[in-house]
Amino acid sequence: MKSKYYLAWATDDEIRKRGANGGFVTATLVSALETGFIDLAVVIEKKSVYEGIPILTSDPEVVKDSSGSLHGVPLNLAKYVLESAPDKRIGLPVKPCDARGIIELAKRQQINLNNVYLIGLNCGGTLHPLQMRAMAAECFGLDPDSVLREEITDGKLFLVHEAEGTEKEAGMKIDELERQGRGRRDACKACDTKIPVMADLACGNWGVPQGEQKTFVEVLTEKGAAILDNALSNGAIEIENASEQGIELRKKIEASMQKLAARWNAELDVLKDLSPSERFAFYKAELQRCIHCGACKAVCPVCACEADAKCLEQHDETDSYAISMYNLLRLLHLMDSCIHCGRCEDVCPVDIPLTLIQRRFSERMQRHLDYTPGMEVTQTPPLNETKLRWRAEGE
Amino acid sequence: MRTLTSICPGCSIGCGLYLLESEGGERRHGLKVAHRTVAPMNEGKLCKFGMQLPAYYDKEALHNSVDGKEVNHEEAIEAARERLSSMNPEEIAFIALPGTITNEELVSFTSLASEFGCENLSFGFERFFRDIPEEAFYVLEHGLPFSDVEAASKIILFFVDPFVHYPLLARRILKAKRNGARIIEVSFTKNERGLADETIVVAPHEFESLREKKELFEDSLIIGELTPYTNPHLVSLMLWLQASTSSRLFLLKPFLNVTGALLISGGGKGAEKRKDLFEIFDRIDRGKIKALYLLETDPVSVLLGGEEVKKTLSKLDVLIEQNVFRTPLSEIATITLGSEPFYKKKGTIVNIEGRVLDLGGESANGLAILERMGKGRSYEDVHEEVKKRLGLGSSEPSEFEIAVTRTERKFGVAFLVEFIDSFLSLLKMGNDEERGEEGYSLWYKTNPFFWAGVRDKQFVEISPAAMRTLGLFSGDEIELVQGDLKERLGFKISDVPDDLIVSEDKLAIQPSDGHWAELHRRELLTSVALRRAKRSSTAEE
Repeated sequence: MKSKYYLAWATDDEIRKRGANGGFVTATLVSALETGFIDLAVVIEKKSVYEGIPILTSDPEVVKDSSGSLHGVPLNLAKYVLESAPDKRIGLPVKPCDARGIIELAKRQQINLNNVYLIGLNCGGTLHPLQMRAMAAECFGLDPDSVLREEITDGKLFLVHEAEGTEKEAGMKIDELERQGRGRRDACKACDTKIPVMADLACGNWGVPQGEQKTFVEVLTEKGAAILDNALSNGAIEIENASEQGIELRKKIEASMQKLAARWNAELDVLKDLSPSERFAFYKAELQRCIHCGACKAVCPVCACEADAKCLEQHDETDSYAISMYNLLRLLHLMDSCIHCGRCEDVCPVDIPLTLIQRRFSERMQRHLDYTPGMEVTQTPPLNETKLRWRAEGE
Repeated sequence: MRTLTSICPGCSIGCGLYLLESEGGERRHGLKVAHRTVAPMNEGKLCKFGMQLPAYYDKEALHNSVDGKEVNHEEAIEAARERLSSMNPEEIAFIALPGTITNEELVSFTSLASEFGCENLSFGFERFFRDIPEEAFYVLEHGLPFSDVEAASKIILFFVDPFVHYPLLARRILKAKRNGARIIEVSFTKNERGLADETIVVAPHEFESLREKKELFEDSLIIGELTPYTNPHLVSLMLWLQASTSSRLFLLKPFLNVTGALLISGGGKGAEKRKDLFEIFDRIDRGKIKALYLLETDPVSVLLGGEEVKKTLSKLDVLIEQNVFRTPLSEIATITLGSEPFYKKKGTIVNIEGRVLDLGGESANGLAILERMGKGRSYEDVHEEVKKRLGLGSSEPSEFEIAVTRTERKFGVAFLVEFIDSFLSLLKMGNDEERGEEGYSLWYKTNPFFWAGVRDKQFVEISPAAMRTLGLFSGDEIELVQGDLKERLGFKISDVPDDLIVSEDKLAIQPSDGHWAELHRRELLTSVALRRAKRSSTAEE
């Protein structure tokens, strides 16, 4: 279907106040649950500005409580969708990497995408929570526990905090923080997928006239149109057409962020000027630290082998190889499917720079195969094609 | 699905994590581990043990019973109180290796022991306090914040391989290295994974050479380990190195709440007066102790020579086991008291850094069992007592603070020199006279799996020379022999000395012969014979 652009907002005062950009996403999900349009929602239960837990809920009140941005809670929700029963209809807000993971799992027949409504959120990146606490203290001069909420607008990180009984706001340019070695996770810095065009709806504040508490919404699929219509018919939201000026502004912001991502991608690639033997020495030194905990596999949003995983099967503790078969198989296996979300690196107990290594191995292969994982539902993952054919043939 | 904020009980780091508890009607059931990025101890990282935590919790629950007959909670508690009351204080012992035990339970447990007038109370580390100056107790009691590790300019890994022993410490050492620290390992063997800039390989009989290398330890952070099997002389040697140089000593411990246990039970001064774990076993063996209360401690699975331990404990008239899961002792226990799993507990622990961590659960059943037998206090009252004993004041500590801090003190070393000398001469003698049949020594490289016994593949590391000597091929098995004890298992080729065998698993092989009290006081390494295992008849066919 052809994309449609709107500005939208919640009709409920409370939701409008608590949710980001006029509460459109919260109101749409709440309405979908209240009307039985979906059975469950995956949302992040907020524990603090720095901590949130993904939960699967059928309770609209829980969805209302989860509203608001959580840039300091880096998660990928793809595996959480797997927790739901395959016949349940699920709605969830997704960053581009969440959506890409879900789509890759759907292609590997782990998720029934017909039952999943992806409400995409434009994403400039996430921050590590402990780094964010340190930034609050060391860059903003705040008690980290006094921070009530955060927001990223116009390239600035704003921390709303409590001081002497009132709410105060402090802001700093993310670029400036990143020049100090702070700021977003490396995977987010290098990510060039800023608008979730693979989701059913793409929402955010890029293209919204300054000062207005509204969400810019792009309707991308029939499912997206249906969940929006549901919220409209239920009186949960109001919409108006987006202006041409707004659409252009949104494109410009996206292009500028993609340019920044390309710069970061080059800057973070510490291997690009090394000789092949130096690169091999780097891989060996980094990967020999692996303690085979399996955490990278457990959180990977595109790993779908489960108990059949060859990487686990081939790993033998009595091997004396510097780079184990576990890592080699994972590198090979993720050639076509790695979405570079950085979750593997987030959880690696020995700090192997897996985002960089996976990116170096898979990016060229994905270009060669003309395949970008998690973007097109209809595009078959090249290295998984035979397995899918066998499965379809019942072998 | 319920999300529970929890702590890994694998070692004394206390990694923060989530446990996802699935309910009926969903696709997957049971427990699942998820990372908790905001946890300051581990920053969202977990080792293999943490990732496999659901398997650790997947065991048969322990029910309440008296003399093998299932009873209700109150009846079991009443029977335990009665049986203990009928004994003389010197005939009773209390043991808790604090792996899954909260500070609150430890307060109740120590109170209970004193109510029965019992001095046979062990948390597994008592004997280490006896042979060292009181001014040095703080080193054994307290750990250090990981920020101190990251800020160190020179780190000496003293017979510790952090990737195996404490993986979540390894990344802090890597950070220190990135910050410019020099990493030196002092060990029987070069560790894998290239962490150290320099390796000082020490043969067991050449320990005295370390005293001659004092300059190596200047301005360093020495990281060592303290387990129930650590030779007290080795601890003295580490303390001597700290006292004789400008170094600091950081002793890692295997059980989650050892720091809490030591501090709550009166610290080193308290520990010095009490009976040691192995002394208690010795007294049970000799029939002097007739009743034992084990709090969430399974010595058969945790300690080396488990069968020997079981044989000794079967001599007891009364064995009370308070635990969550059934253990090899549950069959012979006189009274069993079922408690709640660690991840459901309400309470606190102190990690090796000195952080007082809230467990996040809601149940205080384990504490209630102890309190019903003892003073009858509420959780809140006991928690206040914990704060008092830890010196925390009135406010609740946050996991982002190091609440229990360590103050460095000067201590003398003159007394230690004689003690260490006796140790060194014993080592020399050991080298000449106590080698195994084929001249091999076994070194246990401990890790969370070692203590919890949940590994599924058993193997030892041997040198390429040992492989050639025995004519081994890939896939063969070897046999370790110590007297009548034998272990048949796989092997891995490593860069270890030719006469050394390294095991990350608990084997039937014991550190030493003789009485419990003498256990492992003389040897650092265990003498064994190494043989190629005969192929089974099935394989030959």
